[in-house]
Amino acid sequence: MNLNLVLQELVVGLATGSIYALIALGYTMVYGIIELINFAHGDIFMIGTLVAITIFNLFGVSTNTVLSGGTLIFVMFVACLGAMVACAVLGVAIELVAYRPLRNAPRLAPLISAIGMSLILEDVGKLWKGISFIAFPQVVAQVNYNIGPVTITNINILVIAVSVVLMLALQWMITSTRMGRAMRSVAQDREAAALMGVNVDFVITFTFFVGAGLAGAAGFIYGLQYGSTVFYIGFQLGLIAFTAAVLGGIGNIVGAMLGGVLIGIIESMSTLIPDSSQGGFGLPHGGTAWANAIIFAILILILVFRPSGLLGQQTPEKV
Amino acid sequence: MAVSISNSMFRPTNSTLKLLVKWVVALLVPVVVFNVWGGESILNAVLSPGTVSLGISIDIGTLIQAAIFIIVFYFVVTLLAGYLVAADSGRRSILEVWIDVLIFVMVPLILVILLGLIIGIALCAIVWPVYFYIRNAVRKAIHYTPPPPLASLKTLNDEQRIVLKNRAVAGAFWYATILALILLVIDIIYFATGSLNTTLFIGAIGRTIILPIAGFLLGQVSAWIALRRTLSAKESSNGRGENGTPRVSKRRRLEVLSATRAREEVKDLVPNDLPLRSTGAQRFFLTLLVVFVLFYPVIDPFLFGYGTNGRLAGYGDAGYYVILALGLNIVVGFAGLLDLGYVAFFAIGSYAWGMIGSPQFSFLTGIPVNLSLLPWFFWPMILGAALIAAFFGVLLGAPTLRLRGDYLAIVTLGFGEIVPIVFLEMDKYTNGTNGLIGVASPAFPGVNWSVVTPAPYYYLILALIAFSIFANVRMRDSRLGRAWVAIREDEIAASSSGVNLVNTKLFAFAAGAFFAGVAGAYHSAKLGGVSPDNFGFGDSVIYLAMVVIGGIGSIPGVIVGALAVYAINQFILAQLDTLAADPTSFVYPIHNAIVHVIPSFTFGNIRNLIFGVILIVVMIFRPEGLIPSARRRRELHQGNDEEVEVGSLDVPPGAPGFEAEVHVE
Repeated sequence: MNLNLVLQELVVGLATGSIYALIALGYTMVYGIIELINFAHGDIFMIGTLVAITIFNLFGVSTNTVLSGGTLIFVMFVACLGAMVACAVLGVAIELVAYRPLRNAPRLAPLISAIGMSLILEDVGKLWKGISFIAFPQVVAQVNYNIGPVTITNINILVIAVSVVLMLALQWMITSTRMGRAMRSVAQDREAAALMGVNVDFVITFTFFVGAGLAGAAGFIYGLQYGSTVFYIGFQLGLIAFTAAVLGGIGNIVGAMLGGVLIGIIESMSTLIPDSSQGGFGLPHGGTAWANAIIFAILILILVFRPSGLLGQQTPEKV
Repeated sequence: MAVSISNSMFRPTNSTLKLLVKWVVALLVPVVVFNVWGGESILNAVLSPGTVSLGISIDIGTLIQAAIFIIVFYFVVTLLAGYLVAADSGRRSILEVWIDVLIFVMVPLILVILLGLIIGIALCAIVWPVYFYIRNAVRKAIHYTPPPPLASLKTLNDEQRIVLKNRAVAGAFWYATILALILLVIDIIYFATGSLNTTLFIGAIGRTIILPIAGFLLGQVSAWIALRRTLSAKESSNGRGENGTPRVSKRRRLEVLSATRAREEVKDLVPNDLPLRSTGAQRFFLTLLVVFVLFYPVIDPFLFGYGTNGRLAGYGDAGYYVILALGLNIVVGFAGLLDLGYVAFFAIGSYAWGMIGSPQFSFLTGIPVNLSLLPWFFWPMILGAALIAAFFGVLLGAPTLRLRGDYLAIVTLGFGEIVPIVFLEMDKYTNGTNGLIGVASPAFPGVNWSVVTPAPYYYLILALIAFSIFANVRMRDSRLGRAWVAIREDEIAASSSGVNLVNTKLFAFAAGAFFAGVAGAYHSAKLGGVSPDNFGFGDSVIYLAMVVIGGIGSIPGVIVGALAVYAINQFILAQLDTLAADPTSFVYPIHNAIVHVIPSFTFGNIRNLIFGVILIVVMIFRPEGLIPSARRRRELHQGNDEEVEVGSLDVPPGAPGFEAEVHVE
């Protein structure tokens, strides 16, 4: 196996992984605070990609327009922020409509309404932009940098940079602001937090706001990285991102980032597995077809040895 | 029973008259509607073959079955009439009962007549919750509270038992008589207009004579049934039971139960505030349902006309959803282990029969198999497929025993993703994306299993469902079932009470997977092939939705949930576009209005959207599911329940004689 190829895939994996990490953050935050697998989260991300395209179109940017200088930065900033705000508002709306009435319902009821929400968002995406892949405007002229044998594009760097900045900002917010403290306290013990004067409902809504906003940003950089989107990408990507959140230890912010990056790398590495039908080592049809199977197999293996994920705390069960 | 009742049998007075009016009307209206719709034509076909032409060949076997159906139907309804009149305590008003019968019998009947079986019943699932909601709102508005329970905790003396018996006989007799007269009037009108031939008219007159006599005799039977459900004074004077343990009378037992439990047990007793919901009446409903389902292929053409085969095929498909829901209910509902990859076991079951029951087997192993013998292997292989699936259930369960809650969910999800990928990509063995073709149907002597006659599949899936329900009920009530519920409620408490967590969880996974294997084998045999597209995460989610919507942990609930979800997806949403193209339907203007705004709009595009809205609405208004299990209902409405009054017990709990005094299973 070629070492250069491995390094090259590592770069791709890092870029993909940082998108997964951004989405995984939304899953992990919501789970940490109300113990709900928010299946609609992946579809919020998909809506984010569509919103970004719409904003680009508003600026008259079509598929192959290449911008530069101040215009480029302005348009990108507005598109990213627009996607984030739109998704954040959507996230809050979903929380109010589908989850808040079920706060004290049996555990699986909000899960089913999350699935319902996911189905609704998918069809909204379908009605809005049609059933086929649509191009995401490639506003940034692609530049390749060669570091030794590895090629890294400016878009890869941008993707990684945006997600790192957002993750650092989130980490700062969680650990150092009043709101972050309120979120952590609600996650730990909702009743006790309420007794201490934390407005629990507001904190939960805010969590959805932030998580969905990150999904919007992920939608924007996903478009830059992959160049096209369609209504059903959210579900599959959301599944992988949720897996990432679990891998890192669900409810754990740093864990979600780590899990996302790890899964991105595993996925890109699995494309290196050769096709066994040509003889020798490999899997039928090559590793790409098996990527999801490999991700989940590794996940199961890791969970067998660390039942609470990589960074999850092994809390002794309360009796 | 403080009311004094006249004992003269056929001259009902006072409260017996009220009860008679209440129940005879409540039962007659639906029965007459049913008769006008299809019952009469079944009867006519039996009495005078050849007069009813429905475009189907009515052979002698069909006629016998139709006759059996119609006789059992009238028998059971007459028995029910007698039972209800005897069992009713008379405390609920006539109006309330009539509204209930209207909503729960007439509305489904009319919807089914107008829209077909599945759509009609599925729409009821929408109408009923709305009714509950409105009823509760109205009750709140007029400050109405239903009569308090436990009123029938009285032993009946001999005189009262005779009154009860008389009421039952009167109920059945008057019901049968009035029914006979109504039918006679209808028949005379038809005869006068010449659309009824003489044979049938003689039959109708014969029926008018026979029905009252049968009603009188059946009344005796229903009196006997009702009397078996009374508290009798004799029971407690029995002293010691057969095992030497002191026997406790039912009344005594009820008195020491908590108010909630006692209220549930009191449903069994006669007289009763809610006779329609008593266990006695439920037996009759169940009999009616079983008879209807068993003879459905025969009576379908009488009720719905052309297209029996297409409908039967659809119901056969709905059947394996029921089995899947029942199986998933074991894992999720009983044992509380969230399984998001249940489709994997279904896929394993499908491929298990698909690979052995098709030419693929000889192709892979090189063993030549006589293709005409292949169908016979279906019977052992349905068990084989189930056992293979169960084996994989254990395989998945074993490494995940330490995981809790949603970590387990994600592992099952992962398993559900891996298995279809394996089947898809190992195309050397499974034919990959093309799937398997030429999978053999089952074989049975004298039965034609071709695709154009779905009746054999209908009975096969019926048998499989019956087996699954039986197995589920038995497991739920077994030691294992109680262990499942225990670990669902509290794993640590269960394990300190001696529940073996490892075995119990593995059994849950194995049992759940077993039923998925059964459904899978049936699915591939019915389809005649296996397509790898049927096993996505979306399918697992649909199965989970069936269980949760129906009522998690409740066997009737998940059956209803499976049928409802299947009906919504396959019948209602699939037909919206057809309806939209039809100018006479109510969907047409709606569709036109939307198309003005969104030009490319079709209902096919928003199927998932509508389904999603339904999921959310059901969850918000009925988070416990359509038919929740009794235990869950109690948990969710704890606020309404009275506390157990310890002072009301003869022997306080914990005192030495308590357990000897009370023997409650």
